[in-house]
Amino acid sequence: MPTIEVSIRDIEALLQKTPNDETLDQERLETLLEKVKGEVKDFFPETDSVKIELNDTNRPDLWSPEGIARQILPASSSWSTRYPFFAPSTPATQKIVVSKEVASLRPYVAACISRGLHVTEAILDQLIQSQEKLADSFGRRRQTVSIGLYRLQKIQFPVSYDLVDPEACFFVPLGFDEEMSLKQIITEHPKGIEYAATLAGAKRFPILRDAAGEVLSFPPIINSRALGEVAVGDSELFVEVTGTDLRMVTLAINIFAANLSDRGATIEPVKLEYPEETAFGSNFQTPYDLSQAVVLKLSELNRVLGETVQLEEAVSVFESYGLSVDASGEEMKITSAPYRDDLMHSIDLVEDFAISRGYDSFSPTIPSTYTVGSLSRIEEFSDAMRVAMVGFGFEEVVSNILGSAEDFTQKMGLASDPTARPETDIVEIENPMTERFSLLRSWLLPALLRVEGNSSKAFYPHRLFEVGEVARMAPNTAAQTETLIHLGALIAHPGANFSELHAVLEALFHRLSLPVRLEPASHPSFIEGRSGAILINTLKVGQIGEIVPGVLEAWQIGMPTVAFELDLERIYSV
Amino acid sequence: MLDESILSNLVETLHPLEKQVLRVFAEKDKQDSAALVSASGLKPSQISTAIEWLLAKEIIVVADEKSNAVVSLTEIGQRYAKAKNPPLRMAEDILSKGEISIRELQQRTDMEAEEKSRAIGSLKASGAVSVLPGGRFLISDESKLAEFRDLQSVIDALAEKDHITSFVDFSEQARGIIDLNHRKRSPSKGIFRVELEVDRIYKKTERFEAVYQKMASEQTVETLSELTAEMLKDGTWRGKQFRKYNIGLPPPRISGGALHPYKAFLDQVKTQFVSMGFSEMRGPLVENEFWDMDALYMPQFHPAREIHDVYFVKNTPADQTIPEEVVARVAATHENGGESGSRGWGYTFDAERTRRLILRSQGTSVSARILGGGLGDQGKGANIPGKYFSIARCFRYDQVDATHAPDFFQVEGIVLGEEIHFRTLLGLLTQFAKEVARAEEIKFLPAYFPFTEPSVEMHVRHPKLGWMELGGAGLFRPEVTGPLGVDVPVIAWGLGLDRMAMIALGISDIRDLFSSDLGLIREKQNIVQGKSLS
Repeated sequence: MPTIEVSIRDIEALLQKTPNDETLDQERLETLLEKVKGEVKDFFPETDSVKIELNDTNRPDLWSPEGIARQILPASSSWSTRYPFFAPSTPATQKIVVSKEVASLRPYVAACISRGLHVTEAILDQLIQSQEKLADSFGRRRQTVSIGLYRLQKIQFPVSYDLVDPEACFFVPLGFDEEMSLKQIITEHPKGIEYAATLAGAKRFPILRDAAGEVLSFPPIINSRALGEVAVGDSELFVEVTGTDLRMVTLAINIFAANLSDRGATIEPVKLEYPEETAFGSNFQTPYDLSQAVVLKLSELNRVLGETVQLEEAVSVFESYGLSVDASGEEMKITSAPYRDDLMHSIDLVEDFAISRGYDSFSPTIPSTYTVGSLSRIEEFSDAMRVAMVGFGFEEVVSNILGSAEDFTQKMGLASDPTARPETDIVEIENPMTERFSLLRSWLLPALLRVEGNSSKAFYPHRLFEVGEVARMAPNTAAQTETLIHLGALIAHPGANFSELHAVLEALFHRLSLPVRLEPASHPSFIEGRSGAILINTLKVGQIGEIVPGVLEAWQIGMPTVAFELDLERIYSV
Repeated sequence: MLDESILSNLVETLHPLEKQVLRVFAEKDKQDSAALVSASGLKPSQISTAIEWLLAKEIIVVADEKSNAVVSLTEIGQRYAKAKNPPLRMAEDILSKGEISIRELQQRTDMEAEEKSRAIGSLKASGAVSVLPGGRFLISDESKLAEFRDLQSVIDALAEKDHITSFVDFSEQARGIIDLNHRKRSPSKGIFRVELEVDRIYKKTERFEAVYQKMASEQTVETLSELTAEMLKDGTWRGKQFRKYNIGLPPPRISGGALHPYKAFLDQVKTQFVSMGFSEMRGPLVENEFWDMDALYMPQFHPAREIHDVYFVKNTPADQTIPEEVVARVAATHENGGESGSRGWGYTFDAERTRRLILRSQGTSVSARILGGGLGDQGKGANIPGKYFSIARCFRYDQVDATHAPDFFQVEGIVLGEEIHFRTLLGLLTQFAKEVARAEEIKFLPAYFPFTEPSVEMHVRHPKLGWMELGGAGLFRPEVTGPLGVDVPVIAWGLGLDRMAMIALGISDIRDLFSSDLGLIREKQNIVQGKSLS
């Protein structure tokens, strides 16, 4: 979700408020932003700055103050009147020629020209922010979409979009004084290093050059210093977008054009000459109207909303939200402006209606259907076991499911090499953020020992238990892993021993009316000869024993400790 | 002079242990615990019990005390003993490789994010490193690494000794290092633990002589120290007196069994949902991408599905439980809308990837499974009409800090039926606000979730917290319900209850919900139980 930083006065001006109107305080702004799913993060009137988080990842047109104002203001005229440059009849003044070669790497480019907008420092900041947010969030870190801004008067048209040998093409990139090859740029320039991954595997790199052979930019990495350094005072700009998805590239230029136009620029379309057919043809101009009409039936609107809206109201609510409606009978054919491309289904229009009319205009109704509530059986069983353990004087703990190899293996006396230990059933994370949280627990004992190790200050005796989920590899099942509920219990005090905990185990199974028996079983975490498998008939349901001193030492536990662990799911199945 | 009645009460309530200790004091006015142990033949724990009682009776007092600070390694300190302290570990890596980019330093997985950023900061502040263009680090002055090497030598010295070490035994420089890095002082949890051990010397009070004399003179009167089963059987208790207890003394401490306060809070939440007619659902911790995201119409190129947003499971073959025909319907919906009436996301669906295993990133996957009847052997599908909830442990790729736990509980669910629409959605949320948060004032705001439309965020005025976001909800998109074969509208909802739990428990760090300190857990045990969530 992108967060943008905006000048409060700027957004006030874009909302066409006169200085005499009530000032835009935080509360007022928060209310206005509801219409664009925006949230105020920081509001600093002293420095004239507000941070706004935009939650709708499908509406990149809202990630700028211009876009926010455009949606909040009730539409005074239709978008086709306000933004004439989307009409194919608006003449294109300049041209980009696309080579056949780019198709294999970054096939699409779109562009437009902006005249008559005097670039101030504030406007420049906003342009750069919009450019970055679109390329970063919408364009997935420039992989699918990236944007470049240039000084128009220095460019000789037509511009060409091509691939070149990265070692044979040189220019001075922004931020540097000397010429560098494209290869040098991706290994030495900070932006090159940051975005090199977008060109992974490519032998030839994309380049935009003008008719004089001068480099505009090396997309999606960096602009040239000569043509691509827009400064305060400029008023004629060339804007281009390159990328791997034609709809997304086109949408980005449409949004940028609408933003510039909202600030008073005149937009001139640019013609594109592709070597082969695209979804929009081989010769077309951008900005390009890619909107498609979606049909919504009045009955569907009323069914989803639980309302009885009349057609007339529906049409006016949609129009005030900037949508064009062509109504006939029950059906509304609705078209969004070309800077929006989020209408996938008629359901999206239903939400637009609700937002436009305001969520507070709907009266909540409690669903009246009768249903019977219940706990899951295994949870119910687990809860009964928890209550029993509390009755035996045990205190419950809750621990995290993720842990480290050290916790789950070395500290438990198990081999750390996964191939050398019998417990090959631990689920490991491919991409851990830190080694401390890189494995899922396959039993609860390590977590109980962690608590014991951190609790030497708490008065003894310690009688602890946890009931919780564990996960294991289960290679012979279709799901490959299984999630189980375990019960782990531990006793630690100067005289803690096997028989004290054995008594608890016996009492627990007595309450379950299940016969339980122990069978000697060695395990590296327990003292040899003082540990056993817990069995119901022949079914193994757990392990009990005195913890081996080396393990106690590893967890910094200074008291004799005895523990058991039960698989509640297996016990429940008996 | 002591009043006679007080004196006889004092003497009558003397425990045999106390009497033994008093006999030792009769020989020498001042004693420390060690001397008492050797002279009396009692165990140290018995001596300390007797001393506590005698102090309370003012027969002895503390004459003098010597305290001794002892140093040991914390859990962090022990980690650093094995793998060196973070700045030094980084510096040695830089030295061995010549130079390392800041990005590479930040990406290492052998330390926590906090440790990494603090280590980078300390290295810069020490003056040992220079930063070259492109964010590359170089050790330009190795002598400045001395502070980290000195720290390491103190850690190593403590790790080698398996006994506890006195603070005063360290050099002045080492004491300074310990002082800067111990638990209370250091910004993190500290490398060293410094604890005071107190050794006391006791002496007799004015009361002693009178008490001792009376005790010695009354040796002949037989009192029983305890009543046994044998005495009851043979009647030997008749005509005897029992030694009187000093019942004002503090008893031994016990804690008793108790549910964990956070689990008790979640138990209450469960009870509330069951009482509102909801059935509980369960799902696996290890999910596949299908139920976690694809079935929820999150496109496979969605930013929340990248390597830095979801945990993938290592070395696992594909999940084979998802029915082929359901995958095909979901794939078609993503690609071109399928039969859902949508235009779809317009990309080629990867049917291999959908079976890849991940750690459950959102509880909504449990709802998706029940909608698709995908609970395997456990269930059929959802009842219509039906109401479901789950409290599911989820994993998110986040730095662990005061507001992010490595794994956490999500409370979520669905409601499905013919009467479901936007206004019943608002009605349901209103009911949640009243039942769960005891809130009367509610605000509904437009929201965005990939799988619902319309979507809504609910803010409530909590009686204690003021306005807060309680949860998000919406109607599942037709692209979600259609391919799963559900033909009635479905509400999907999720509540964020951690903040309420933290306030109810009086904690400010989310990691404390999963605290491994029994002392802290005991402090919180009685706060939530039996009270309402607000």
